[in-house]
Amino acid sequence: MAVVKEEEFEFHTGQNRPAGVPDAIQFIDVHKTFGSNQVLRGLSMGLPEGKVSMILGPSGTGKSVCIKHIVGLMYPDSGDVVVAGHSIPSLSDDDLFELRKKFGVLFQDGALFGSLNLYDNVAFPLRQHTEKGEDEIAEIVNRRLSEVGLGNANEKMPNELSGGMRKRAGFARSLVLDPEIVLFDEPDSGLDPVRTALLCELIKEVHAENGGTYVVITHDIMSARRVAEYIAVLWRGRIVEAGPSQELFESENEFVRQFLAGESSGPLGME
Amino acid sequence: MNELFALPREWLAATGEIGRFMGTVMGDVWGGRVLHFFGESLRQAGILIVSSTLVIWALMFILGLICGTEGAYFLEANGAPAYAGVFAAWCDLREIIPYAFGYMMAAKVGTGIVAELGAMRISDEIDALEVMGIDSMTFLCATRLLAAWIVLPFLYLAGMGGAFLASYIAVVQQVGFVSSGGYLLIFWEFQNPPDFLFSLIKAMVMATAIVLVGCYYGYNAGGGPVGVGTATAKSMVLNLVLVHLIGMLGTQVFWGNNPNAPIGG
Ligand SMILES: Nc1ncnc2c1ncn2[C@@H]1O[C@H](COP(=O)(O)OP(=O)(O)OP(=O)(O)O)[C@@H](O)[C@H]1O
Ligand SMILES: [Mg+2]
Repeated sequence: MAVVKEEEFEFHTGQNRPAGVPDAIQFIDVHKTFGSNQVLRGLSMGLPEGKVSMILGPSGTGKSVCIKHIVGLMYPDSGDVVVAGHSIPSLSDDDLFELRKKFGVLFQDGALFGSLNLYDNVAFPLRQHTEKGEDEIAEIVNRRLSEVGLGNANEKMPNELSGGMRKRAGFARSLVLDPEIVLFDEPDSGLDPVRTALLCELIKEVHAENGGTYVVITHDIMSARRVAEYIAVLWRGRIVEAGPSQELFESENEFVRQFLAGESSGPLGME
Repeated sequence: MNELFALPREWLAATGEIGRFMGTVMGDVWGGRVLHFFGESLRQAGILIVSSTLVIWALMFILGLICGTEGAYFLEANGAPAYAGVFAAWCDLREIIPYAFGYMMAAKVGTGIVAELGAMRISDEIDALEVMGIDSMTFLCATRLLAAWIVLPFLYLAGMGGAFLASYIAVVQQVGFVSSGGYLLIFWEFQNPPDFLFSLIKAMVMATAIVLVGCYYGYNAGGGPVGVGTATAKSMVLNLVLVHLIGMLGTQVFWGNNPNAPIGG
């Protein structure tokens, strides 16, 4: 294990302000290295149950890697990831597949199936995991697609869509099974400001309607202000600070302030 | 010099991994796990029929013509034109047609699988399947193998019929050193039903290897679009090597001790 230089972590208080509810997702001293690139370096964080949490952090710090750990697509080199009471690295394959049926995941670039049209993409989880008839499926799929403004694009293939459209379709697909744990990797990147605002409203609405634990990764501070109930700020593979969003927006921590205000001067540079 | 042997060295290093991968996929088919996705298997079978049947048959037919022509002229030159049927029978059933099938399977089906699965891998589609709680290896690989096993025996035997016809046309209609009856007498004397079964087994082992190699390279592709291209090329090379190994071993095992050649008998 490489030496940890403490001055790299001078802003990392690791302070975790209580959210008042138990954690649905916990990272416990997680380390993850790709070759010589240490991405997660002793990450410990908890994301509260039943709330919309946001993971914020500079590009390339390992936010997408975090999501892959939560769903068991990557395993930590050391440490543990606990989701809904299960330690992900020690689950058997079959149990992991069972657990994943409770997840709804939006990947950073949509990950639509290139060989299926939009409608079939969104209907796919319903056809695989439920006994619903085609009428009922059509009802759900059309509702989800029109929620994200793709009501007239049913027949389009993914390669005929813009990046933002693919993202919105992936968003619709991740919600069709009313999942208990929802993970969105930058649902708002590549969208215009109005659609971003509408998408934030939609996240809030769907969450109010179905409940569940939401984890949203974003770079957009406006989105964070609009929907986050809980915020974790990640940098250099560890939590700088985490807590209920109001408290974080008022934080004294220099890094957190710079990042949440989007200023160019402060601890974070281009590196 | 090192560069020259990079590919074979990689195969040796990956033999265990490829073997394990193939074992898992075949286990999913044998063990019936694949039946969870029977619909997808049928869809793949349909795709296989629509997109690959004609090219495979075409190559088999052309090589059937070649076997006939070669046999007719070669045996004429050696003073036994009546025996063109021997050459055609063996050339078609035992060697060239299985190879033709293997080549076209590798070129059309094998590389197609690598490209398709590779593209799915690099655009996170395989990860998306996994997080939807679907065993992607079963869903993507085992279904394709089952589809191949459902479709290819029929496709192969029908193609073999076409190749026989082609040899007949070449020897009897085109070259014409031998009468139709004479040709067919010899042609059928030098093969019997077990030979068909052996030939079929040979071809199906090739097909299985080709589909599995395609799945392996596609499923494990990495390194972006360039990586998928490289994986496609590598799979083609390995598949051609395997096709010949299987062809050679098959001939040894099935006909090495018992050539079924009623000469002088
Ligand atoms: N499969 C992988 N193999 C090797 N390195 C990887 C892999 N996945 C991620 N990384 C590395 O991990 C680091 C973090 O990547 P990650 O995608 O999590 O960043 P991110 O925080 O999501 O950034 P962004 O906001 O730009 O999406 C990067 O340096 C990346 O190079
Ligand atoms: Mg990311």
